[in-house]
Amino acid sequence: MTHDLIFLTGVNILMAWSVYIILLSGSLSFANGGFMALGAYGAGVFTMKWGMDFYAALALAGLGTGLVGALLAYPALRTRGVYLILVTVGLSFIIQTLIQNTDYVGGVLGMTGMTGTTNWHVWGLIGVVGVGLYWLSRSHLQRQLDAVREDERVAASLGIDVVYLKVVCFAVGAGLAAVAGGLYSHYMVFINPDHFNIFVSIYVVLYVVLGGVNNLWGPVIGASVMTLLPEMVRALQTFRPLIFGAVIIALLLVRPNGLLSLRLRTLTAHKERDA
Amino acid sequence: MIAEQIVNGVVLGSMYALVALGYTLVFGVLDKLNFALSELFMLGGFVVIASVGLGAPLWLAGVLVLLVCGSLGLVVEFVSFRKFTSPDAQVTAALSSLAVGLIMIDLVQKTWGGEPVSVPVPIEWRRANVAFFGMQIQVMKIVILVVTLALMAVLHWLITRTAMGRNIRAVAESPTFATLLGVDVKRVNQQTFFIASALAGAGGLMFSLRNGVASSDIGFTFGLKALAIMAIGGMGDLRGAVLSGVLVGVIESLAIQFGFGKLGEVIVWALMILVLLARPGGLFGGAHGTEQRA
Repeated sequence: MTHDLIFLTGVNILMAWSVYIILLSGSLSFANGGFMALGAYGAGVFTMKWGMDFYAALALAGLGTGLVGALLAYPALRTRGVYLILVTVGLSFIIQTLIQNTDYVGGVLGMTGMTGTTNWHVWGLIGVVGVGLYWLSRSHLQRQLDAVREDERVAASLGIDVVYLKVVCFAVGAGLAAVAGGLYSHYMVFINPDHFNIFVSIYVVLYVVLGGVNNLWGPVIGASVMTLLPEMVRALQTFRPLIFGAVIIALLLVRPNGLLSLRLRTLTAHKERDA
Repeated sequence: MIAEQIVNGVVLGSMYALVALGYTLVFGVLDKLNFALSELFMLGGFVVIASVGLGAPLWLAGVLVLLVCGSLGLVVEFVSFRKFTSPDAQVTAALSSLAVGLIMIDLVQKTWGGEPVSVPVPIEWRRANVAFFGMQIQVMKIVILVVTLALMAVLHWLITRTAMGRNIRAVAESPTFATLLGVDVKRVNQQTFFIASALAGAGGLMFSLRNGVASSDIGFTFGLKALAIMAIGGMGDLRGAVLSGVLVGVIESLAIQFGFGKLGEVIVWALMILVLLARPGGLFGGAHGTEQRA
Protein backbone atom coordinates (compact mmCIF):
# COMPACT_ATOMS: atom_id res chain seq x y z
CA MET A 1 0.00 0.00 0.00
CA THR A 2 2.68 2.46 1.04
CA HIS A 3 4.78 1.08 -1.77
CA ASP A 4 2.05 1.83 -4.32
CA LEU A 5 1.61 5.29 -2.90
CA ILE A 6 5.30 6.11 -3.22
CA PHE A 7 5.22 4.86 -6.80
CA LEU A 8 2.09 6.84 -7.69
CA THR A 9 3.54 10.00 -6.19
CA GLY A 10 6.68 9.50 -8.25
CA VAL A 11 4.77 9.04 -11.50
CA ASN A 12 2.65 12.10 -10.78
CA ILE A 13 5.78 14.17 -10.13
CA LEU A 14 7.23 13.04 -13.46
CA MET A 15 3.94 13.88 -15.20
CA ALA A 16 3.80 17.28 -13.51
CA TRP A 17 7.35 17.97 -14.69
CA SER A 18 6.40 16.95 -18.22
CA VAL A 19 3.71 19.67 -18.18
CA TYR A 20 6.14 22.09 -16.53
CA ILE A 21 8.76 21.56 -19.25
CA ILE A 22 6.21 22.41 -21.95
CA LEU A 23 5.05 25.36 -19.87
CA LEU A 24 8.63 26.68 -19.71
CA SER A 25 8.13 28.00 -23.22
CA GLY A 26 4.69 29.38 -22.41
CA SER A 27 2.55 26.59 -23.92
CA LEU A 28 -0.08 24.77 -21.91
CA SER A 29 -0.64 21.14 -22.86
CA PHE A 30 -3.77 19.12 -22.13
CA ALA A 31 -2.37 16.20 -24.13
CA ASN A 32 0.07 14.80 -21.58
CA GLY A 33 -2.37 12.10 -20.47
CA GLY A 34 -2.47 11.07 -24.12
CA PHE A 35 1.33 11.05 -24.39
CA MET A 36 1.44 9.00 -21.20
CA ALA A 37 -0.91 6.51 -22.88
CA LEU A 38 1.32 6.37 -25.97
CA GLY A 39 4.31 5.63 -23.74
CA ALA A 40 2.46 3.10 -21.60
CA TYR A 41 1.13 1.19 -24.59
CA GLY A 42 4.24 1.70 -26.70
CA ALA A 43 6.62 0.37 -24.07
CA GLY A 44 4.14 -2.43 -23.30
CA VAL A 45 4.04 -3.51 -26.94
CA PHE A 46 7.84 -3.33 -27.18
CA THR A 47 8.46 -5.58 -24.18
CA MET A 48 5.44 -7.90 -24.40
CA LYS A 49 5.01 -8.41 -28.13
CA TRP A 50 8.42 -7.64 -29.55
CA GLY A 51 10.45 -9.06 -26.68
CA MET A 52 12.49 -5.92 -26.24
CA ASP A 53 14.62 -5.06 -23.21
CA PHE A 54 12.78 -2.99 -20.56
CA TYR A 55 15.15 -0.02 -20.68
CA ALA A 56 15.34 -0.01 -24.47
CA ALA A 57 11.53 -0.12 -24.63
CA LEU A 58 11.24 2.86 -22.29
CA ALA A 59 13.80 4.86 -24.23
CA LEU A 60 12.23 4.05 -27.58
CA ALA A 61 8.72 4.87 -26.33
CA GLY A 62 9.98 8.18 -24.96
CA LEU A 63 11.85 9.14 -28.13
CA GLY A 64 9.04 8.02 -30.42
CA THR A 65 6.36 9.90 -28.49
CA GLY A 66 8.56 12.99 -28.30
CA LEU A 67 8.94 12.92 -32.06
CA VAL A 68 5.23 12.33 -32.66
CA GLY A 69 4.35 15.09 -30.19
CA ALA A 70 6.66 17.54 -31.90
CA LEU A 71 5.35 16.71 -35.37
CA LEU A 72 1.72 16.99 -34.25
CA ALA A 73 2.19 20.17 -32.29
CA TYR A 74 4.64 21.97 -34.57
CA PRO A 75 1.98 23.84 -36.55
CA ALA A 76 -0.08 24.57 -33.44
CA LEU A 77 2.91 25.84 -31.48
CA ARG A 78 3.23 28.79 -33.79
CA THR A 79 -0.02 30.02 -32.30
CA ARG A 80 -0.50 30.81 -28.66
CA GLY A 81 -2.99 30.53 -25.84
CA VAL A 82 -6.37 29.00 -26.45
CA TYR A 83 -5.60 27.53 -29.89
CA LEU A 84 -2.95 25.25 -28.43
CA ILE A 85 -5.31 24.31 -25.58
CA LEU A 86 -7.91 23.26 -28.15
CA VAL A 87 -5.42 21.27 -30.22
CA THR A 88 -4.02 19.43 -27.19
CA VAL A 89 -7.50 18.61 -25.87
CA GLY A 90 -8.21 17.20 -29.33
CA LEU A 91 -5.00 15.15 -29.31
CA SER A 92 -5.92 13.69 -25.93
CA PHE A 93 -9.30 12.49 -27.23
CA ILE A 94 -7.86 11.24 -30.52
CA ILE A 95 -5.15 9.16 -28.84
CA GLN A 96 -7.60 7.64 -26.35
CA THR A 97 -10.19 6.80 -29.01
CA LEU A 98 -7.59 5.32 -31.36
CA ILE A 99 -6.26 3.05 -28.61
CA GLN A 100 -9.82 2.01 -27.73
CA ASN A 101 -10.28 0.91 -31.33
CA THR A 102 -6.97 -0.88 -31.80
CA ASP A 103 -7.47 -4.59 -31.22
CA TYR A 104 -3.72 -5.24 -31.33
CA VAL A 105 -3.37 -3.64 -27.89
CA GLY A 106 -6.65 -5.02 -26.54
CA GLY A 107 -9.03 -2.16 -27.36
CA VAL A 108 -11.30 -1.11 -24.51
CA LEU A 109 -10.42 -4.26 -22.57
CA GLY A 110 -6.84 -3.15 -22.11
CA MET A 111 -3.52 -4.85 -22.05
CA THR A 112 -1.98 -6.97 -19.33
CA GLY A 113 1.26 -8.68 -18.34
CA MET A 114 3.77 -5.82 -18.15
CA THR A 115 6.16 -6.06 -15.19
CA GLY A 116 9.56 -4.77 -14.26
CA THR A 117 9.20 -1.27 -12.81
CA THR A 118 10.36 -0.73 -9.25
CA ASN A 119 10.30 2.40 -7.16
CA TRP A 120 14.06 2.69 -7.77
CA HIS A 121 13.42 3.24 -11.47
CA VAL A 122 10.86 5.96 -10.83
CA TRP A 123 12.77 7.84 -8.17
CA GLY A 124 16.04 7.37 -10.01
CA LEU A 125 14.49 9.04 -13.02
CA ILE A 126 13.11 11.80 -10.81
CA GLY A 127 16.67 12.38 -9.58
CA VAL A 128 18.04 12.55 -13.12
CA VAL A 129 15.29 14.84 -14.41
CA GLY A 130 15.52 16.96 -11.27
CA VAL A 131 19.26 17.49 -11.72
CA GLY A 132 18.67 18.26 -15.39
CA LEU A 133 15.98 20.82 -14.61
CA TYR A 134 18.13 22.35 -11.87
CA TRP A 135 21.01 22.70 -14.31
CA LEU A 136 18.58 24.20 -16.83
CA SER A 137 17.29 26.71 -14.30
CA ARG A 138 20.81 28.12 -13.92
CA SER A 139 21.66 28.11 -17.60
CA HIS A 140 21.39 30.62 -20.43
CA LEU A 141 18.65 28.48 -21.93
CA GLN A 142 16.40 29.28 -18.99
CA ARG A 143 16.83 33.02 -19.65
CA GLN A 144 15.82 32.48 -23.25
CA LEU A 145 12.81 30.43 -22.19
CA ASP A 146 11.78 33.11 -19.70
CA ALA A 147 11.94 35.65 -22.49
CA VAL A 148 9.81 33.49 -24.79
CA ARG A 149 7.26 32.89 -22.05
CA GLU A 150 6.97 36.50 -21.00
CA ASP A 151 6.80 38.02 -24.48
CA GLU A 152 7.34 36.10 -27.69
CA ARG A 153 7.71 39.13 -29.89
CA VAL A 154 10.38 40.70 -27.73
CA ALA A 155 12.18 37.35 -27.52
CA ALA A 156 12.10 36.98 -31.30
CA SER A 157 13.42 40.51 -31.73
CA LEU A 158 16.39 39.55 -29.50
CA GLY A 159 17.30 36.81 -31.95
CA ILE A 160 15.80 33.87 -30.04
CA ASP A 161 14.33 31.15 -32.26
CA VAL A 162 10.93 31.05 -30.56
CA VAL A 163 9.30 28.23 -32.55
CA TYR A 164 12.40 26.03 -32.23
CA LEU A 165 12.46 26.41 -28.44
CA LYS A 166 8.74 25.71 -28.15
CA VAL A 167 8.95 22.59 -30.30
CA VAL A 168 11.92 21.26 -28.34
CA CYS A 169 10.15 21.86 -25.02
CA PHE A 170 7.00 20.22 -26.31
CA ALA A 171 8.92 17.19 -27.58
CA VAL A 172 10.88 16.76 -24.34
CA GLY A 173 7.71 17.14 -22.26
CA ALA A 174 5.84 14.62 -24.41
CA GLY A 175 8.78 12.22 -24.20
CA LEU A 176 8.98 12.49 -20.42
CA ALA A 177 5.23 11.87 -20.13
CA ALA A 178 5.69 8.77 -22.32
CA VAL A 179 8.52 7.42 -20.16
CA ALA A 180 6.37 8.00 -17.08
CA GLY A 181 3.61 6.09 -18.87
CA GLY A 182 5.98 3.24 -19.67
CA LEU A 183 7.04 3.02 -16.02
CA TYR A 184 3.37 3.15 -15.02
CA SER A 185 2.26 0.30 -17.27
CA HIS A 186 5.16 -1.95 -16.19
CA TYR A 187 4.25 -1.39 -12.56
CA MET A 188 0.48 -1.70 -12.81
CA VAL A 189 0.70 -4.89 -14.96
CA PHE A 190 -2.75 -4.08 -16.38
CA ILE A 191 -3.73 -0.92 -18.27
CA ASN A 192 -6.76 0.16 -20.27
CA PRO A 193 -7.55 3.35 -22.23
CA ASP A 194 -9.63 4.73 -19.34
CA HIS A 195 -6.47 5.07 -17.25
CA PHE A 196 -5.39 7.85 -19.59
CA ASN A 197 -8.57 9.86 -20.16
CA ILE A 198 -8.82 13.64 -20.38
CA PHE A 199 -9.12 13.90 -16.59
CA VAL A 200 -5.53 12.69 -16.24
CA SER A 201 -4.33 15.50 -18.49
CA ILE A 202 -6.44 18.05 -16.64
CA TYR A 203 -5.38 16.93 -13.17
CA VAL A 204 -1.70 16.99 -14.07
CA VAL A 205 -2.01 20.54 -15.38
CA LEU A 206 -3.79 21.51 -12.18
CA TYR A 207 -1.01 19.94 -10.04
CA VAL A 208 1.42 22.28 -11.74
CA VAL A 209 -0.88 25.29 -11.39
CA LEU A 210 -1.33 24.47 -7.72
CA GLY A 211 2.36 24.07 -7.02
CA GLY A 212 3.68 26.91 -9.11
CA VAL A 213 4.37 27.36 -12.78
CA ASN A 214 7.73 29.09 -12.76
CA ASN A 215 10.13 26.98 -10.72
CA LEU A 216 10.94 23.31 -10.74
CA TRP A 217 9.85 22.64 -7.13
CA GLY A 218 6.30 23.84 -7.68
CA PRO A 219 5.18 20.81 -9.73
CA VAL A 220 6.85 18.48 -7.20
CA ILE A 221 4.96 20.04 -4.29
CA GLY A 222 1.68 20.20 -6.22
CA ALA A 223 1.84 16.58 -7.37
CA SER A 224 2.98 15.22 -3.99
CA VAL A 225 0.43 17.14 -1.96
CA MET A 226 -2.45 16.23 -4.25
CA THR A 227 -1.46 12.55 -4.33
CA LEU A 228 -0.55 12.06 -0.67
CA LEU A 229 -2.91 14.35 1.20
CA PRO A 230 -6.17 12.62 0.12
CA GLU A 231 -4.68 9.29 1.24
CA MET A 232 -3.78 10.63 4.66
CA VAL A 233 -6.93 12.55 5.48
CA ARG A 234 -10.07 10.54 4.94
CA ALA A 235 -12.40 13.51 4.61
CA LEU A 236 -10.22 14.94 1.86
CA GLN A 237 -10.58 11.78 -0.17
CA THR A 238 -14.36 12.05 -0.19
CA PHE A 239 -14.37 15.67 -1.19
CA ARG A 240 -11.25 15.58 -3.31
CA PRO A 241 -12.49 17.19 -6.57
CA LEU A 242 -14.53 19.72 -4.60
CA ILE A 243 -11.68 20.91 -2.40
CA PHE A 244 -9.17 20.63 -5.22
CA GLY A 245 -11.35 22.76 -7.50
CA ALA A 246 -12.04 25.35 -4.81
CA VAL A 247 -8.33 25.62 -3.93
CA ILE A 248 -7.42 26.09 -7.60
CA ILE A 249 -10.02 28.84 -8.06
CA ALA A 250 -8.95 30.64 -4.90
CA LEU A 251 -5.30 30.28 -5.82
CA LEU A 252 -5.78 31.66 -9.32
CA LEU A 253 -7.57 34.67 -7.86
CA VAL A 254 -4.89 35.38 -5.26
CA ARG A 255 -1.69 34.09 -6.84
CA PRO A 256 -2.11 33.47 -10.56
CA ASN A 257 1.37 31.93 -10.80
CA GLY A 258 0.86 29.24 -8.19
CA LEU A 259 1.75 28.73 -4.57
CA LEU A 260 5.50 28.62 -5.03
CA SER A 261 5.98 31.42 -7.50
CA LEU A 262 9.38 32.45 -6.17
CA ARG A 263 11.32 32.84 -9.35
CA LEU A 264 11.26 36.14 -11.21
CA ARG A 265 9.74 37.73 -8.15
CA THR A 266 12.21 40.59 -8.28
CA LEU A 267 11.77 41.09 -11.99
CA THR A 268 7.99 41.16 -12.01
CA ALA A 269 7.21 42.33 -8.50
CA HIS A 270 5.56 45.51 -9.68
CA LYS A 271 3.59 43.60 -12.31
CA GLU A 272 2.18 41.17 -9.76
CA ARG A 273 1.07 43.95 -7.50
CA ASP A 274 -0.83 45.56 -10.34
CA ALA A 275 -2.42 42.35 -11.55
CA MET B 1 -31.92 3.92 -43.40
CA ILE B 2 -29.33 6.49 -44.32
CA ALA B 3 -31.97 9.22 -44.42
CA GLU B 4 -33.04 8.26 -40.90
CA GLN B 5 -29.44 8.35 -39.73
CA ILE B 6 -29.09 11.82 -41.22
CA VAL B 7 -32.17 12.93 -39.28
CA ASN B 8 -30.61 11.42 -36.14
CA GLY B 9 -27.44 13.29 -36.93
CA VAL B 10 -29.28 16.59 -37.33
CA VAL B 11 -31.03 16.05 -33.98
CA LEU B 12 -27.73 15.22 -32.27
CA GLY B 13 -26.01 18.07 -34.05
CA SER B 14 -28.63 20.61 -33.01
CA MET B 15 -27.93 19.73 -29.37
CA TYR B 16 -24.19 20.09 -29.91
CA ALA B 17 -24.88 23.38 -31.66
CA LEU B 18 -26.64 24.83 -28.60
CA VAL B 19 -23.53 24.27 -26.47
CA ALA B 20 -21.23 25.40 -29.27
CA LEU B 21 -23.28 28.60 -29.54
CA GLY B 22 -22.59 29.18 -25.87
CA TYR B 23 -18.85 28.64 -26.32
CA THR B 24 -18.71 30.84 -29.38
CA LEU B 25 -20.74 33.65 -27.76
CA VAL B 26 -18.36 33.81 -24.82
CA PHE B 27 -15.33 33.56 -27.09
CA GLY B 28 -16.69 36.21 -29.41
CA VAL B 29 -17.29 38.71 -26.63
CA LEU B 30 -14.39 37.98 -24.24
CA ASP B 31 -11.87 36.07 -26.38
CA LYS B 32 -11.81 33.41 -23.67
CA LEU B 33 -12.81 29.78 -23.24
CA ASN B 34 -15.45 28.99 -20.65
CA PHE B 35 -14.88 25.30 -19.89
CA ALA B 36 -17.68 25.37 -17.31
CA LEU B 37 -20.21 25.38 -20.19
CA SER B 38 -19.59 21.66 -20.73
CA GLU B 39 -20.63 20.99 -17.16
CA LEU B 40 -23.65 23.31 -17.38
CA PHE B 41 -24.64 21.13 -20.34
CA MET B 42 -24.32 18.13 -18.04
CA LEU B 43 -26.30 19.95 -15.33
CA GLY B 44 -29.28 20.62 -17.65
CA GLY B 45 -30.64 17.10 -17.27
CA PHE B 46 -30.22 17.10 -13.51
CA VAL B 47 -32.09 20.39 -13.10
CA VAL B 48 -35.04 18.74 -14.87
CA ILE B 49 -34.88 15.73 -12.56
CA ALA B 50 -34.73 17.96 -9.49
CA SER B 51 -37.56 20.26 -10.54
CA VAL B 52 -39.87 17.46 -11.69
CA GLY B 53 -39.04 15.74 -8.41
CA LEU B 54 -40.32 18.84 -6.63
CA GLY B 55 -43.59 18.60 -8.54
CA ALA B 56 -43.05 20.98 -11.46
CA PRO B 57 -44.58 20.11 -14.84
CA LEU B 58 -42.14 19.42 -17.66
CA TRP B 59 -42.53 22.79 -19.41
CA LEU B 60 -41.81 24.62 -16.16
CA ALA B 61 -38.82 22.35 -15.60
CA GLY B 62 -37.53 23.42 -19.01
CA VAL B 63 -37.84 27.09 -18.10
CA LEU B 64 -36.13 26.40 -14.78
CA VAL B 65 -33.21 24.81 -16.66
CA LEU B 66 -32.68 28.07 -18.55
CA LEU B 67 -32.93 30.16 -15.38
CA VAL B 68 -30.79 27.94 -13.13
CA CYS B 69 -28.04 27.31 -15.69
CA GLY B 70 -28.08 30.97 -16.71
CA SER B 71 -27.69 32.09 -13.10
CA LEU B 72 -24.87 29.60 -12.56
CA GLY B 73 -23.28 31.17 -15.62
CA LEU B 74 -23.30 34.48 -13.78
CA VAL B 75 -21.50 32.80 -10.89
CA VAL B 76 -18.89 31.42 -13.31
CA GLU B 77 -18.42 34.89 -14.78
CA PHE B 78 -17.90 36.36 -11.32
CA VAL B 79 -15.51 33.67 -10.08
CA SER B 80 -13.46 32.84 -13.16
CA PHE B 81 -13.64 35.77 -15.57
CA ARG B 82 -14.33 39.05 -13.76
CA LYS B 83 -10.78 39.43 -12.51
CA PHE B 84 -8.91 38.06 -15.52
CA THR B 85 -9.47 40.79 -18.06
CA SER B 86 -6.11 41.15 -19.79
CA PRO B 87 -5.51 39.26 -23.04
CA ASP B 88 -2.69 37.37 -21.27
CA ALA B 89 -5.18 35.92 -18.82
CA GLN B 90 -6.82 33.66 -21.44
CA VAL B 91 -5.18 30.57 -19.98
CA THR B 92 -5.83 31.57 -16.36
CA ALA B 93 -9.53 32.08 -17.02
CA ALA B 94 -9.77 28.79 -18.90
CA LEU B 95 -8.13 26.91 -16.01
CA SER B 96 -10.33 28.62 -13.45
CA SER B 97 -13.54 27.76 -15.33
CA LEU B 98 -12.27 24.20 -15.67
CA ALA B 99 -11.94 24.03 -11.90
CA VAL B 100 -15.51 25.34 -11.53
CA GLY B 101 -16.57 22.51 -13.86
CA LEU B 102 -14.83 19.92 -11.70
CA ILE B 103 -16.69 21.22 -8.66
CA MET B 104 -20.03 20.97 -10.50
CA ILE B 105 -19.34 17.34 -11.44
CA ASP B 106 -18.43 16.50 -7.87
CA LEU B 107 -21.53 18.18 -6.43
CA VAL B 108 -23.78 16.32 -8.89
CA GLN B 109 -22.10 13.02 -8.05
CA LYS B 110 -22.45 13.71 -4.33
CA THR B 111 -26.17 14.42 -4.78
CA TRP B 112 -27.24 11.81 -7.33
CA GLY B 113 -24.39 9.30 -7.28
CA GLY B 114 -22.09 8.42 -10.14
CA GLU B 115 -24.59 6.30 -12.09
CA PRO B 116 -26.96 7.71 -14.76
CA VAL B 117 -30.34 8.84 -13.37
CA SER B 118 -33.50 8.37 -15.42
CA VAL B 119 -35.35 11.48 -16.57
CA PRO B 120 -39.14 11.59 -16.25
CA VAL B 121 -40.38 11.90 -19.83
CA PRO B 122 -43.90 11.24 -21.13
CA ILE B 123 -43.65 7.67 -22.35
CA GLU B 124 -45.57 8.41 -25.59
CA TRP B 125 -42.80 10.83 -26.66
CA ARG B 126 -40.40 7.96 -26.78
CA ARG B 127 -42.81 5.34 -28.11
CA ALA B 128 -44.80 7.17 -30.77
CA ASN B 129 -43.45 7.68 -34.26
CA VAL B 130 -44.45 10.10 -36.95
CA ALA B 131 -44.27 9.11 -40.60
CA PHE B 132 -42.33 11.65 -42.59
CA PHE B 133 -41.39 11.04 -46.24
CA GLY B 134 -41.50 7.32 -45.57
CA MET B 135 -39.32 7.56 -42.47
CA GLN B 136 -40.42 6.76 -38.94
CA ILE B 137 -39.30 9.55 -36.63
CA GLN B 138 -39.73 9.52 -32.87
CA VAL B 139 -41.94 12.29 -31.52
CA MET B 140 -39.12 13.02 -29.09
CA LYS B 141 -36.77 13.95 -31.87
CA ILE B 142 -39.30 16.34 -33.37
CA VAL B 143 -39.80 17.98 -29.98
CA ILE B 144 -36.03 18.39 -29.66
CA LEU B 145 -35.66 19.89 -33.12
CA VAL B 146 -38.56 22.32 -32.63
CA VAL B 147 -37.31 23.54 -29.24
CA THR B 148 -33.75 23.86 -30.50
CA LEU B 149 -34.81 25.83 -33.57
CA ALA B 150 -37.00 28.05 -31.42
CA LEU B 151 -34.09 28.78 -29.08
CA MET B 152 -31.84 29.58 -32.02
CA ALA B 153 -34.48 31.90 -33.46
CA VAL B 154 -34.79 33.69 -30.12
CA LEU B 155 -31.01 34.04 -29.95
CA HIS B 156 -30.92 35.44 -33.49
CA TRP B 157 -33.62 37.93 -32.57
CA LEU B 158 -31.82 38.92 -29.34
CA ILE B 159 -28.50 39.46 -31.10
CA THR B 160 -29.72 41.26 -34.21
CA ARG B 161 -32.86 43.12 -33.14
CA THR B 162 -32.55 44.23 -29.53
CA ALA B 163 -30.52 46.91 -27.76
CA MET B 164 -28.87 44.19 -25.68
CA GLY B 165 -27.76 42.36 -28.81
CA ARG B 166 -26.40 45.59 -30.26
CA ASN B 167 -24.32 46.12 -27.12
CA ILE B 168 -23.09 42.53 -27.21
CA ARG B 169 -22.01 42.96 -30.82
CA ALA B 170 -20.31 46.24 -29.97
CA VAL B 171 -18.28 44.69 -27.15
CA ALA B 172 -17.38 41.73 -29.36
CA GLU B 173 -16.07 44.18 -31.91
CA SER B 174 -13.98 46.20 -29.47
CA PRO B 175 -14.45 46.47 -25.70
CA THR B 176 -12.49 49.73 -25.65
CA PHE B 177 -14.63 51.52 -28.22
CA ALA B 178 -17.78 50.08 -26.72
CA THR B 179 -16.78 51.57 -23.36
CA LEU B 180 -16.09 54.92 -25.00
CA LEU B 181 -19.56 54.83 -26.53
CA GLY B 182 -21.09 54.31 -23.12
CA VAL B 183 -21.70 50.57 -23.20
CA ASP B 184 -21.47 48.93 -19.77
CA VAL B 185 -19.01 46.14 -20.61
CA LYS B 186 -19.41 44.34 -17.29
CA ARG B 187 -23.15 44.17 -17.82
CA VAL B 188 -22.71 42.91 -21.37
CA ASN B 189 -20.36 40.21 -20.12
CA GLN B 190 -22.96 39.10 -17.60
CA GLN B 191 -25.68 39.03 -20.24
CA THR B 192 -23.43 37.00 -22.53
CA PHE B 193 -22.66 34.49 -19.80
CA PHE B 194 -26.32 34.15 -18.88
CA ILE B 195 -27.37 33.50 -22.47
CA ALA B 196 -24.48 31.14 -23.20
CA SER B 197 -25.04 29.13 -20.02
CA ALA B 198 -28.80 28.93 -20.54
CA LEU B 199 -28.19 27.61 -24.07
CA ALA B 200 -25.73 25.01 -22.78
CA GLY B 201 -28.24 23.95 -20.12
CA ALA B 202 -30.96 23.67 -22.76
CA GLY B 203 -28.64 21.51 -24.85
CA GLY B 204 -28.12 19.23 -21.87
CA LEU B 205 -31.87 19.12 -21.25
CA MET B 206 -32.47 17.96 -24.83
CA PHE B 207 -29.64 15.45 -24.56
CA SER B 208 -31.04 13.89 -21.41
CA LEU B 209 -34.56 13.82 -22.86
CA ARG B 210 -33.25 11.99 -25.91
CA ASN B 211 -31.29 9.43 -23.88
CA GLY B 212 -33.89 9.12 -21.12
CA VAL B 213 -31.10 9.50 -18.55
CA ALA B 214 -28.91 12.23 -17.15
CA SER B 215 -25.35 11.25 -16.30
CA SER B 216 -22.60 13.18 -14.63
CA ASP B 217 -19.88 12.28 -17.14
CA ILE B 218 -21.43 13.68 -20.33
CA GLY B 219 -19.78 17.04 -19.73
CA PHE B 220 -16.42 15.67 -20.73
CA THR B 221 -17.54 13.03 -23.20
CA PHE B 222 -20.09 15.11 -25.14
CA GLY B 223 -19.96 18.67 -23.83
CA LEU B 224 -16.30 19.17 -24.68
CA LYS B 225 -17.03 18.21 -28.26
CA ALA B 226 -18.84 21.53 -28.54
CA LEU B 227 -15.38 23.06 -28.20
CA ALA B 228 -14.28 21.30 -31.37
CA ILE B 229 -17.52 22.31 -33.06
CA MET B 230 -17.00 25.94 -32.14
CA ALA B 231 -13.49 25.85 -33.59
CA ILE B 232 -14.67 24.14 -36.78
CA GLY B 233 -17.36 26.75 -37.25
CA GLY B 234 -14.97 29.59 -36.52
CA MET B 235 -14.40 30.98 -33.04
CA GLY B 236 -16.98 33.67 -32.39
CA ASP B 237 -19.06 32.80 -35.45
CA LEU B 238 -22.69 32.07 -34.48
CA ARG B 239 -23.84 30.79 -37.85
CA GLY B 240 -20.71 28.64 -38.12
CA ALA B 241 -21.43 27.05 -34.73
CA VAL B 242 -24.88 25.92 -35.87
CA LEU B 243 -23.69 24.67 -39.25
CA SER B 244 -20.72 22.77 -37.88
CA GLY B 245 -22.83 21.35 -35.05
CA VAL B 246 -25.18 19.80 -37.58
CA LEU B 247 -22.22 18.71 -39.74
CA VAL B 248 -20.54 16.95 -36.82
CA GLY B 249 -23.81 15.34 -35.69
CA VAL B 250 -24.39 13.93 -39.16
CA ILE B 251 -20.78 12.73 -39.47
CA GLU B 252 -21.05 10.90 -36.14
CA SER B 253 -24.37 9.27 -36.99
CA LEU B 254 -23.10 8.14 -40.38
CA ALA B 255 -19.88 6.84 -38.81
CA ILE B 256 -21.99 4.63 -36.55
CA GLN B 257 -24.21 3.61 -39.47
CA PHE B 258 -21.20 2.49 -41.52
CA GLY B 259 -19.68 0.57 -38.62
CA PHE B 260 -16.89 2.92 -37.60
CA GLY B 261 -18.40 3.28 -34.13
CA LYS B 262 -16.54 5.64 -31.86
CA LEU B 263 -13.99 6.48 -34.54
CA GLY B 264 -16.45 9.22 -35.51
CA GLU B 265 -15.10 11.07 -32.49
CA VAL B 266 -11.61 10.99 -33.95
CA ILE B 267 -12.97 12.59 -37.13
CA VAL B 268 -14.44 15.48 -35.13
CA TRP B 269 -11.25 16.32 -33.28
CA ALA B 270 -9.02 15.72 -36.29
CA LEU B 271 -11.26 18.01 -38.34
CA MET B 272 -10.95 20.63 -35.61
CA ILE B 273 -7.15 20.45 -35.64
CA LEU B 274 -7.10 20.67 -39.44
CA VAL B 275 -9.43 23.66 -39.45
CA LEU B 276 -7.42 25.45 -36.75
CA LEU B 277 -4.23 24.95 -38.72
CA ALA B 278 -5.52 25.62 -42.22
CA ARG B 279 -8.44 28.00 -41.71
CA PRO B 280 -8.31 29.52 -38.22
CA GLY B 281 -11.31 31.65 -39.18
CA GLY B 282 -13.52 28.57 -39.39
CA LEU B 283 -14.81 26.30 -42.11
CA PHE B 284 -17.65 28.59 -43.12
CA GLY B 285 -16.16 31.85 -41.93
CA GLY B 286 -14.47 34.79 -43.51
CA ALA B 287 -16.90 36.02 -46.11
CA HIS B 288 -19.63 37.45 -43.91
CA GLY B 289 -17.18 39.00 -41.49
CA THR B 290 -18.13 40.92 -38.42
CA GLU B 291 -21.87 41.07 -38.96
CA GLN B 292 -22.28 37.43 -37.93
CA ARG B 293 -19.67 37.61 -35.19
CA ALA B 294 -21.33 37.86 -31.83
